[in-house]
Amino acid sequence: MFSHIFLYKLKSIVRDRNLMFWTLMFPILLSVLFWMAFSNLTKGEAFRDIKIAVINDAAYKENANFDKALSYVSADNKDRLFNVTYTTMDSAKKLLKDGQIEGYIYFNNGLNLTVKNSGINESIIKEFLDYYVQTSSTASTIITENPSAIYGSLAKDLTQKVQYLKEVPAGNANPDTVVAYFYTLIAMTCLYGSFWGQKEVSDIQANQSYVGARVNVAPTHKLKVFSISMLAAITVQLIEIFALLLFLIFVLKINFGSQIGYIVLTCFVGTLTGVTFGALISAIVTKKEGIKIAIIIGGSMIMSFLSGMMYAGIKTIISRNLPALSYINPANLIADSFYSLYYYSGHEHYFINTLLLCAFTLLFSFLTYIILRRQKYASI
Amino acid sequence: MVIKVENLVKRYGDLIALDHFNVEVQEGEILGLLGPNGSGKTTAINCILSLLKYDKGSIEIFGRPMSPSAYDIKRNIGIIMQNVAVFEELTVYENIDYFCGLYVTDKSHRKMLVDEAIDFVGLNDFRKFYPKKLSGGLLRRLNIACGIAHKPKLIILDEPTVAVDPQSRNNILEGILKLNKDGSTVVYTSHYMEEVEHICSRIVIMDKGKTIASGTNDELKSMIKSGEKITIEIFNFNAKILSDLKNMKNIVSCEFADNHLIVKSMRGENNLMVLLEYLKSNNIAFGKIYSEPPTLNDVFLEITGKELRD
Repeated sequence: MFSHIFLYKLKSIVRDRNLMFWTLMFPILLSVLFWMAFSNLTKGEAFRDIKIAVINDAAYKENANFDKALSYVSADNKDRLFNVTYTTMDSAKKLLKDGQIEGYIYFNNGLNLTVKNSGINESIIKEFLDYYVQTSSTASTIITENPSAIYGSLAKDLTQKVQYLKEVPAGNANPDTVVAYFYTLIAMTCLYGSFWGQKEVSDIQANQSYVGARVNVAPTHKLKVFSISMLAAITVQLIEIFALLLFLIFVLKINFGSQIGYIVLTCFVGTLTGVTFGALISAIVTKKEGIKIAIIIGGSMIMSFLSGMMYAGIKTIISRNLPALSYINPANLIADSFYSLYYYSGHEHYFINTLLLCAFTLLFSFLTYIILRRQKYASI
Repeated sequence: MVIKVENLVKRYGDLIALDHFNVEVQEGEILGLLGPNGSGKTTAINCILSLLKYDKGSIEIFGRPMSPSAYDIKRNIGIIMQNVAVFEELTVYENIDYFCGLYVTDKSHRKMLVDEAIDFVGLNDFRKFYPKKLSGGLLRRLNIACGIAHKPKLIILDEPTVAVDPQSRNNILEGILKLNKDGSTVVYTSHYMEEVEHICSRIVIMDKGKTIASGTNDELKSMIKSGEKITIEIFNFNAKILSDLKNMKNIVSCEFADNHLIVKSMRGENNLMVLLEYLKSNNIAFGKIYSEPPTLNDVFLEITGKELRD
């Protein structure tokens, strides 16, 4: 009996092209769109050396120390800060005007900087110059007042910075908003499992479908048929989630961290939550299928939005102003579980999310059972 | 006794769908539940099958009380619903096999039953077809196959010929007769009196949730006063003809419409000759003449005062 119902339900589900598109192809297409839209997002945030110009006149040549310092930070290595062009004043002005440099440095009664705009790069140039002026001033003052200091560890003391704050990394990886978008996409796909849950309840309820009426007059307990059907739905949805996961990891190269076991567990629990959520909606709402689908799509999209699928900042806004909402939104719990595995080194956050998802699954299942256990209908 | 329903009452709010409905179905018969749309036929079937809650009354099938968990009873019932109840994503064979599998667990036995059912409804050429590729008539046949594949002792058909072409309708009706001949008891609901007259060995006429008459076809027709209906085409009609006819002995009613005089006579009295004598003696020109025995519609009309299809 189990294999008979399970295999036929599998066939029935897999052949439902409409729902297969929405639960498998649509998330994959959406992930490609996300990838195309977000692939350059972090590249913009990466540091690139700053193009500056130095007026290479007699005044500059007199300041050999500054030249040494500038050569050190513009040396062609991975820590390169500046890309320096040595030129004349007129040429530097033209380069600045054309936007080919961020600013130019020249000596005229001290060190001077000219910039066109104010921004991060301009601040970095100014910070470098201030630091140089401050350090060289300190060194010359000390040497003037105590010439013997030059034989001690003055140079080392001046150039070596002591950190009084210790950085403790919160996680295994760098914070990344882009991967979070893909995690919310998986969360949305898990919730799209609701379509299958909805369908299985309709197929078992005599007041919702003709097939349901036929099942109800058969000599097999309808909850037995329902349980096996749900298992088939969960199996298909889980395979779809894994297909999406593999596509994200191996094709789009999205980083999910290395904790495969926990990732699989999240997919499994998220799928259960999604499918049982749809079953509950279908059990409660005895209207036409179109209305149920509309409720499921609307609900899934709202939950996905609140978990940061369309705008990553919404997650922060909710956690600051309505933290409870984060804990009752299954989409957020699923996405957050993936992010916890990616970013945090501990599992406390992950297990809280997973346990909450399990609690939701049990709640949805229990409420669905309460409604479905009714064996006769008031009207058909 | 296969089915025994006593004093069944089903209310939808203020509407009484079944009003102390009683029916008994004997083994081996084809019982027709005849009534206009909304008379309570489908509601009665759904209550008998324990799909619907009812307010009062008792239902026994095969001598035992029917309930949703009476699986031993359900195992011997086949139901063909008014609407086609199949999975769109499964083929003809797979649909029949799936539903048969809810009754029969032995795989080889089930395969034999499914093949027989496909053969019975004539869908051999469509085994691998999906329902959406089937015509309305073939779809109805698939619906029937899904309901009877497990060879039930009791088959309930709820208006199985609605929106079916004449050829498929005849095919379905002949199939029902064959199922009955093979030993199944059949309950057949319809608002098509011709179908019920054709296949049912006993008929229950329903209206407003009540049984208003029951018996064999002949027994029901013998309950009413009117006998044959004579229709005469008349070209020069005048009101005197109607008044003369109404005063004649054995005439139950007469009316004139669209150049046709319709006369209903009392049962058992042959008034055709008397009528022809009257027309001849009064030099009334007439054309075609039809004489029809009473129908179930006449029975329904006489009891309720309205047409069966009103």
